[in-house]
Amino acid sequence: MKTTILVVTAIVLATASARAHHAFGGEFDANRPVLLKGSVVKVEWVNPHAWIHIAVKQPDGKTEVWMVEGGSPNSLLRQGVTKNSLPVGTEIVVDGYQARDHTLKRANGRNITYPDGRKLFLGSSGTGAPSDGADPTEKKK
Amino acid sequence: MRHRCFVVTMMCGMLLALSAVKPPTVVGQGAKPYSPKRMPDGHPDLQGTYDLATLTPLERPPGMKPVLTREEVAKIERAVAAQVDEGAKPISGERAAPPKGGDGSAGAAGNVGGYNNFWLDPGSTYTIVNGEIRTSIIVDPPDGRMPQLTPAARQRIAARLLAGAVSVPNNDRGLETAPGAYDDPERRPLGERCLLGFGSTAGPPALPNYFYNNLHKIVQTPNTVIIVNEMVHDVRVVRMNGQHPPKHIRKWMGDSIGRWEGDTLVVDTTNFNADQIRYAVQAAPGRGLFMVESLGAKPQDRLQGPSQDLHVMERFTRVADNALLYRFTVEDPNTWVAPWTGEFTWPATSEQIFEYACHEANYAMENVLRGARRREIDAAAK
Repeated sequence: MKTTILVVTAIVLATASARAHHAFGGEFDANRPVLLKGSVVKVEWVNPHAWIHIAVKQPDGKTEVWMVEGGSPNSLLRQGVTKNSLPVGTEIVVDGYQARDHTLKRANGRNITYPDGRKLFLGSSGTGAPSDGADPTEKKK
Repeated sequence: MRHRCFVVTMMCGMLLALSAVKPPTVVGQGAKPYSPKRMPDGHPDLQGTYDLATLTPLERPPGMKPVLTREEVAKIERAVAAQVDEGAKPISGERAAPPKGGDGSAGAAGNVGGYNNFWLDPGSTYTIVNGEIRTSIIVDPPDGRMPQLTPAARQRIAARLLAGAVSVPNNDRGLETAPGAYDDPERRPLGERCLLGFGSTAGPPALPNYFYNNLHKIVQTPNTVIIVNEMVHDVRVVRMNGQHPPKHIRKWMGDSIGRWEGDTLVVDTTNFNADQIRYAVQAAPGRGLFMVESLGAKPQDRLQGPSQDLHVMERFTRVADNALLYRFTVEDPNTWVAPWTGEFTWPATSEQIFEYACHEANYAMENVLRGARRREIDAAAK
């Protein structure tokens, strides 16, 4: 019982304390949910947020490039993620909400996964380097 | 609905870190007197990179005892490890877009959710000081809580709210109601503008942010001590044996002068920048002294904010080859009825600080301001 209370306390503390660099609600429109499936064309490993650019195929066959907002890259890099961990051409699936200015093809990366649903960068191998995404041929259709 | 709410994401991030990182082993705090490595000038060498991330909050949660046993901490870690595994599990690759109108998540990101927990590094262990596993950074008052605000401070903070100096969240999370809050970049919070690390990461006092990017680096010379903060690349320059400038000269993170008391570096900081003071709002209990964003419900219940007479004394002591003890006292008779003191261990890390370089790709600022213009157009069309 005591353990439960302690755990709850710790979790509440963490959640109450957490905040993003800025108010996501001011940036993204809750009435514009998006699901994006596409291949990586560029990754900006920058602060205050990393941005993943993906080419999304439209029903008419054309492609649109969307920018997806992630977190700060700093701690990822310390987990062994490198600029090669998400190679150009990697297929990913993103769900999130579009920017409030709808002329912008930008969204928050609420969930970023591979097509099979695995979270990016998780499932590291014993080397500490992420195995997910390390092999581009694995991701290409 | 798993993993679709920001709160859950935060939680998973914490849990992930809990399982992934070993507790720092701090040596040299036992009975034997510790003799630190010294600089050529004879003073202890405080240099290194330190990871301030910890689960120990600034203020002790009500009902929690001051010190945990190792068994109690181990139980917590085991309990959360199971949730870490859960949080790392795949979700459907064939999932649909999130619900229109928002995903219902609470917390800082509002109902559009945040981002996956793999971005986060919120701390994995409680801080250990003198062999004690502490449940609060604050050690004085003994209840581990900040002292009460003075009546004058309550009035001042209320006036700031009324004047719109501090943005107040409304029911549309992330959209503050302060007049002109989105009129130009200079009305945006300091963290959003890449001017200072949000929360109290810059300080002083330097505090964990329970989220990510908690590294600090110390570079030491006989005349100057530099403290680099990973978040937003804040750099404090401590002039050894210097004098504070006249009161009207105000600086980001204040004016810091240092001196040695035995083997302890004492840093005295005053002359805080008015904007840093103006935005000094504590958004959540147990958080920092400086708060450059204002998020969360009932902000009037949570406000802290020092006056321009804020005075911070910090004490840096090397207690082991791999750790510093950081102790600080905050004094501002215009704000709190008594001074208060905190301490926590800064474990050294071999990790490097990736330069923050915040401005170059701060698309978020553009998106936020453009979003506000869009809302103005929509409102005019109605």
